[in-house]
Amino acid sequence: MKVLIIEDELQLAQSVIGYLSGESYVCEHAATYQQAMEKLSIYEYQCILLDLMLPGGNGLQLLEEIKKRQQQEGVIIISAKDSYDDKIKGLQIGADDYLAKPFHLPELAARVYSVIRRRSFQNNNILQQEELQIDLLAKTVHIHDKPVLLTRKEFDLLIYFLGNKNRVISKNALAEHLSGDIADMLDNHSFVYAHIKNLKRKLHEAGCGNYLKTVYATGYKWEV
Amino acid sequence: MSKLLNKSLKIFILYAGIVLAGSIPAYYVIVDLIWEHELKEHNLIVSETIKQNLQSLSLSDEELAASVALWNKLRPETQLQPAASLLPDSTYNIYRKNKYIPTKGKDRFQGLITYFSINGKPFRLTLETNMEESHETIMAIAVVTVMFFLILLGGFIFINRRISARLWRPFYNSLEKIQSFNLHKPQEIHFDHTGIAEFETLHHHLHKLITGNIASYQQQKEFIQHASHELQTPLSVIKFKLDLLHQSKPMTEEQSDIIDQAHQALAKVTRVNKNLLLLAKIENSQFPEKERIDLPVLIEHYVPFLQDFLDDKQLQVQLNITGSFQLSVNKTLLEILLTNLFMNAIRYSEPGGIIQVSLDERRLVMANTGNEALDTDHLFRRFGLSARHPTGTGLGLAIIHEICQLYGWQEHYRFENGFHLFSIQWA
Repeated sequence: MKVLIIEDELQLAQSVIGYLSGESYVCEHAATYQQAMEKLSIYEYQCILLDLMLPGGNGLQLLEEIKKRQQQEGVIIISAKDSYDDKIKGLQIGADDYLAKPFHLPELAARVYSVIRRRSFQNNNILQQEELQIDLLAKTVHIHDKPVLLTRKEFDLLIYFLGNKNRVISKNALAEHLSGDIADMLDNHSFVYAHIKNLKRKLHEAGCGNYLKTVYATGYKWEV
Repeated sequence: MSKLLNKSLKIFILYAGIVLAGSIPAYYVIVDLIWEHELKEHNLIVSETIKQNLQSLSLSDEELAASVALWNKLRPETQLQPAASLLPDSTYNIYRKNKYIPTKGKDRFQGLITYFSINGKPFRLTLETNMEESHETIMAIAVVTVMFFLILLGGFIFINRRISARLWRPFYNSLEKIQSFNLHKPQEIHFDHTGIAEFETLHHHLHKLITGNIASYQQQKEFIQHASHELQTPLSVIKFKLDLLHQSKPMTEEQSDIIDQAHQALAKVTRVNKNLLLLAKIENSQFPEKERIDLPVLIEHYVPFLQDFLDDKQLQVQLNITGSFQLSVNKTLLEILLTNLFMNAIRYSEPGGIIQVSLDERRLVMANTGNEALDTDHLFRRFGLSARHPTGTGLGLAIIHEICQLYGWQEHYRFENGFHLFSIQWA
């Protein structure tokens, strides 16, 4: 699956490429409005990461151009401007998601994962991994074809891990994912531990393999 | 406090009073001297007339004696008596009881004693003229002076009123304009043209000061906003690099710990930066949209979002909501206000504590258990309490303050019965 990163800050683009490459993503980078237009006219992408502040043009304008082409790719806006207006405008034009900088790379990976699922697998909302079967639309989980009851947060965590397979995810990133803006107001993130413990227990009790690993005390990893 | 014009008026009146009071003895001395001088002259003229008329009559000694006796009877104020010899003239000034009208009391007389000879015999002529008594003169002058003083006083007050109403009007106008000036909602002040040099200078410099202030305030706000924006990218780079570093293999527990600690410090910087940006945005009025929000419902829906944090510290939330009402505010700001109030309560509560939320149509009071009162002086200021807690940004209450300012609400803190009470009052 191809991802285009339209971002003028080289360091950021390289980091995103470094994190997303490897799994099943092939990443390309455009640093300006013109470069982005050129790449978009030649190649097809499943997901586009779009920074709104670009040299040579406005990101929202670029978004309009992308949407005119009526392709299946999903667009995630990544912006340093945490502006409510831009967010509304971007989503109205047709972006799938909006992430305000700074965010965690696993968060981005999870969003890319779900955008691609939504866009490219419209008729297939079932995720299958060995004995684990997840219905994204109905938000249900089956293990060995038996339903497992998860809370909303446990389900969220599971999808998050599946979007970050084989990656170490810090507790910080998980806390931010679960509680958004509120999370970073408190440093005590032991609630993350509580949710993960419950998720692990439920998966284990239903006979699911031990995919979810704790990496020392500070991180977690979904290993397959 | 006394007004500027009254101050000068008082001094003017005091000065006028002193001058007029001093003028009373001066007038008296002058009037008395003129009076005395004129009477002396008058006595001299009369005595000379008598002398020459008598001498020209050429009376015999008997006739003279009879005439003198008659004269002395008819004109008691002049006494003509035979004298031992001719002496030089002399004058005197005496007070004497009135023989004929005793009720009049003492009268003052100016006298002249002159000597001349008739038929070779020396005679002494004593002439007296009634003169105004000193106390009467003083009284009359004093009455006139007091009257003039009163006229002056009335005039001063009247003129002063007129002056303050007219001459100082531009000054009071300017004063009013400066009073209504608010740096948070800066509007250029235009002073009226007065045509008076002092006021024009004042206005010119005030205008310079105010525009300078507005400009530097604007620059400061823009600076914060720009600085915060500029920081977003490097903060993102650090965050990304740490996330990448976390993927490296092999990873030791120590390295993992270091990354975690770096993440925590980074989270605090990010938070401070976000809050500074938020403050700048509120100050720059970038939240103009308003909608009617049912606060009781909002709070009831909000508490479940906090469940994770409440569970972490085993905190209990007690809601005490009375009434149903709506506030016309920006929803984002109201949510930020609530988040900050709740986060403060959670952060500063001891584990196992209680958070009480009381809400009615006039105010919201958030109470959490605590040990000692906070220093109220710097509480709602930026970075006022930052040292107290490692995770606090020191900006939460400043943001609450700024939101309250925006809507004209009152924020207040007090410590009561082991509870920190933060209240927001909007009516």
